[in-house]
Amino acid sequence: MTSYRLDSGGLVNRSYALTFSFDGKSFKGLDGDTVASALLANDQMLMGRSFKYHRPRGPVTAGSSEPNALVTIGSGARNEPNVRATVAELYAGLTAVSQNRWPSLSFDMGSVNSLLSPLLGAGFYYKTFMWPAKFWEWVYEPVIRRAAGLGKMVMEADPDRYEKSWAHCDLLVVGAGPAGLMAALTAARSGVRVILADEGFRFGGSLLSENLNIGGVSAADYATGLIAELASLPNVTLMPRTTVFGWYDDMVFGAVERVQKHVASPSPDLAVERLWRIVAKRAILASGAEERPLVFGGNDKPGVMTAGAVRTYLNRYSVAVGSKVAVFTNGGSGYRTAADLAARGVEIAAIVDARAASEDVVPAGVRVIRNGAVVATKGRKRIDGLVVERAGFQEEISCDALAMAGGWSPIVHLMCQRGQKPVWSEEKQAFMAPDVGSAFVAAGSAAGTDTVSAALRDGAAKASAFARDLGFAAYEANIPDVEGEYDASFAPLWYVPGAKDKAFVDFQNDVHVSDLGIAQREAFRHIEHTKRYTTAGMATDQGKLGNVNTIGIVAGMRGVSPAEIGTTTFRPFYTPVSFGALAGASRGEHAAPTRTSPLHGWAKKNGATFVEAGLWYRSSWFPKEGEKTWRDSVDREVRNVRENAGLCDVSTLGKIEIFGANAGEFLDRIYSNGFLKLPVGKARYGLMLREDGMVFDDGTTSRLGPNHYVLTTTTAYATEVMTHLEFASQTLWPDLDVCFTSVSDQWAQMSLAGPKARAIMSRIVEDDISDAAFPFLAARTVTLRGGLAARLFRISFSGELAYELAVPAGYGEAVADAIMEAGREDGICAYGVEALNVLRVEKGFVTHSEIDGRATADDLGYGKMMGMNKPDFIGKHLSTRFGLTAADRLQLVGLKPIEADKEFKAGAHLLKENAAPSMASDQGFVSSVCYSPTLGHYIGLAMLKSGRERIGERIIVWDGLRNSEVPAEVCAPVFVDPGNTKLNV
Amino acid sequence: MALTLLHRHVLDDHISGFETNANPNHLSVFRRPVIFSVLAKVGQERAVGAALEAAADIAVRTCAPGEWLAVSQTSGSETVAGQLSAIVDASSVDQSDGKVLLTVSGPSVRKILAKCVAVDLHPDAFADGHSTNMLIGHVTGNLARTGADRFEIIVPRSFAGSVFEELMEMGREFALTAAFAGD
Repeated sequence: MTSYRLDSGGLVNRSYALTFSFDGKSFKGLDGDTVASALLANDQMLMGRSFKYHRPRGPVTAGSSEPNALVTIGSGARNEPNVRATVAELYAGLTAVSQNRWPSLSFDMGSVNSLLSPLLGAGFYYKTFMWPAKFWEWVYEPVIRRAAGLGKMVMEADPDRYEKSWAHCDLLVVGAGPAGLMAALTAARSGVRVILADEGFRFGGSLLSENLNIGGVSAADYATGLIAELASLPNVTLMPRTTVFGWYDDMVFGAVERVQKHVASPSPDLAVERLWRIVAKRAILASGAEERPLVFGGNDKPGVMTAGAVRTYLNRYSVAVGSKVAVFTNGGSGYRTAADLAARGVEIAAIVDARAASEDVVPAGVRVIRNGAVVATKGRKRIDGLVVERAGFQEEISCDALAMAGGWSPIVHLMCQRGQKPVWSEEKQAFMAPDVGSAFVAAGSAAGTDTVSAALRDGAAKASAFARDLGFAAYEANIPDVEGEYDASFAPLWYVPGAKDKAFVDFQNDVHVSDLGIAQREAFRHIEHTKRYTTAGMATDQGKLGNVNTIGIVAGMRGVSPAEIGTTTFRPFYTPVSFGALAGASRGEHAAPTRTSPLHGWAKKNGATFVEAGLWYRSSWFPKEGEKTWRDSVDREVRNVRENAGLCDVSTLGKIEIFGANAGEFLDRIYSNGFLKLPVGKARYGLMLREDGMVFDDGTTSRLGPNHYVLTTTTAYATEVMTHLEFASQTLWPDLDVCFTSVSDQWAQMSLAGPKARAIMSRIVEDDISDAAFPFLAARTVTLRGGLAARLFRISFSGELAYELAVPAGYGEAVADAIMEAGREDGICAYGVEALNVLRVEKGFVTHSEIDGRATADDLGYGKMMGMNKPDFIGKHLSTRFGLTAADRLQLVGLKPIEADKEFKAGAHLLKENAAPSMASDQGFVSSVCYSPTLGHYIGLAMLKSGRERIGERIIVWDGLRNSEVPAEVCAPVFVDPGNTKLNV
Repeated sequence: MALTLLHRHVLDDHISGFETNANPNHLSVFRRPVIFSVLAKVGQERAVGAALEAAADIAVRTCAPGEWLAVSQTSGSETVAGQLSAIVDASSVDQSDGKVLLTVSGPSVRKILAKCVAVDLHPDAFADGHSTNMLIGHVTGNLARTGADRFEIIVPRSFAGSVFEELMEMGREFALTAAFAGD
């Protein structure tokens, strides 16, 4: 037995044992354990294999920076790879498996890579797999991916729920160690709204791991007292298991809360993870400091871990990581670890101190080797000894664990995520937090304090400064005496010479010192280049442990200060965040909102097939029994509208109600055609241009009163037009007396079209709607039989006699039902947007297929709608630019196949007869195509170079995607009733 | 032939009517509230706002500078239309069918809404009677505080189904129930 649980002490609940499994074997842990501490308590030091060389690895930390002890937790669809065993909270029934090994953890075929390691240095892939180029994608990469890599994804849908939430506070404190707890409490006592977040499942940070006496109680009990008071305050929100991973603009912090990652069966009513966006007026970073590993030969063997981690396993989890522990240190942390271990009866093999002298207290009877260095470690799946060298003399020391203490690096990640880089401090021999302004500061060991008492004072001082700053009466915290502190200072030691095995700087990506040397030699000298060439710092741990050593070693190789090398770039996320949390609830039906028309129920009843149009669900066609394809239905609907009548849902059009004494003037400037003289009770088709002269949108606008209009937009551009109007009114012409609001949702609007439309509408409307009383383009409020007020517009998008009837949305379905009933004897049918499209193409009306942002009014044949004698309108001036008036612009034409049974598709290009099919001979393109049941063949609308001069020309419709060429005749774009005889009846 | 026309609420398809009794956290949908958009003539925003606030039986919801929703649960549409047309320099338009009004209330209401809106709903920041337009889930709507643990939401009719389902999803943790008011 080498690592084991002590009989007493620690912050684990000994009366609550938890059974779990690792690689199929059953283990027992305790409530309060992490997976790593529970495995160590069971003498399971080997937890994984390394990325590249498949070397045996055990935990090197006891926290979130862990590079080695990555396991897959859960099974089936809940399988979660790459979980750090050092932070995974143990629960009953947890199943964990090791990764990156085959066939088993202790016998791994991949470890043959270690034998090939002389070939596998930095840049190996770049140099080796260059030729032939195709081999990379098909051979090299798949093979490398299988051999290297981490845990495996499951290809099953995640069964769990995730969500996102917002939180707001005056002060966000990140980290609940001594500085964070004291900062939160000091601010909270002043009345500040505080959020305290910590990534751990238990608040306290280093207070849980250090053997101290604070104000007469243990550090852990002292923490418990602070937490209890915080929990009792209404202005405090405590967020355990919450990692603040990002700092964004406007003091918004991103955090992920693991709500149910520590339970065997998550409740379906709760999210398993919750992504928080925390808006804070001020923030304190109390994220502590990271202990650096030492870079010596064989520093990656299971059993080698940081001195702080050894203390955490000992004091917090009551686990001795070995029965004979050696220490390799360059500062006080190593001595402290030896003292804590010795006090619990663990034998200390030796303390190897890189320094010549120190004043650290040596536990009684422990041998100290000063000026010493570890150059190699013995053992394979677990360390069983060291080779220590001093002044050329080597000796072997047997041990079953090694605590390494390489000094401390403040964890300043969050403060460096928005462009500022950490600043090297010669005094602290560490990269410190940059000055990021007065709203966000670091406190405690994140700010470089060395002791718990200093951290407590620093947290209190910074919080009370913020409280005053926010206008609260500052509360002066009472900091108790801390007994048993040690001197955590250290002498930097970046590189231990004489290594007899690989000396790793980045454990997770298997980057060792000689890789850094290759990068320098091969000119990848900038630290960002060194990083990418060697992959140091590019693993899922993002170099939390290794980066500072990489920088220190590269500085040493170059003979400069680490300040000159600088750091790589810090970016969110601090630790990995699941895609589930980032997506939150926005998946499946909640991925995007849907909009349903007030006539949705009517369409459903009539058997509609729906199509998603933007967010809308629109009825596309209404299949009847016996119809085999959508075309059967659409052809029937079109014929029926042309012969009898049809009812179509047009509620999705944008509708904007406009008021004001200058509303007419406003519209006159918005539209290219005139609106000043539109009489009350009339509708007019209008064309809107963009400022650059291109057509923006079209629709009808009706004048309902002297200062009252209702404007309609296309479905797709409803929002854009509203924005356009707001911009024009607020910034271009604030002097105009006009105001408007969207009423798109207020009205259910339906189009009744066909020769029998009037007969049917007369049965619904009380008013006289004869051609004389209600002529083409009439627009008025009418009364439906039974008394409901409605708006009736005589407008047509099909060329048929047609009405659009608008009723309050809640009555839409009932009124549509009534129209269908009233039209039954006349053979009415429901028709959808597909038939609507055929009807408009037959009539040569344009939509956004033609108004595609590149067409001018003249291109579309609407040159007469350019009111050039108006003083101004949007788009007027730029529409006269040379390029926009050129004679060879693409102009709207019709197309029909020469052979009536031939088909072509929208998007096809136009070529002159006998021209080579290439874009160099391009004459234009087909914008809309449909089968015309009225004419019995396909027809199309197209944009053709100088198209209007070319009516009658034979042209080739070239579809390069489908590899077809169809001869067609250029014709006028109006295929049906060019004389409008059906409209004016 | 006189038509007998049934008025349908868009959430009829979402609320079955067979829910159990309301839980402490509850979403209530109002069937036929009267809701008008009110717009002020440029320069007269303050006067129109003051006149609106003074109107009897009308709750005023702020949408934008010079734009409000006038909401009444007690008066009829014509009464409200009459009151609004009497306000000088104001234009108004009936949106009763275009907007859906619901209230969410209960001890966890702020936690539920924190999953839907980015705005700080702490009473110090968003006091009783306060209202504004904001993104609610994916949809722009108007949110008003109508009590310590009570908020009113007004959203466009076409989006109401999605907003309703989103609110219910976010309220699942807190056993949020839903029903039409008065049912």
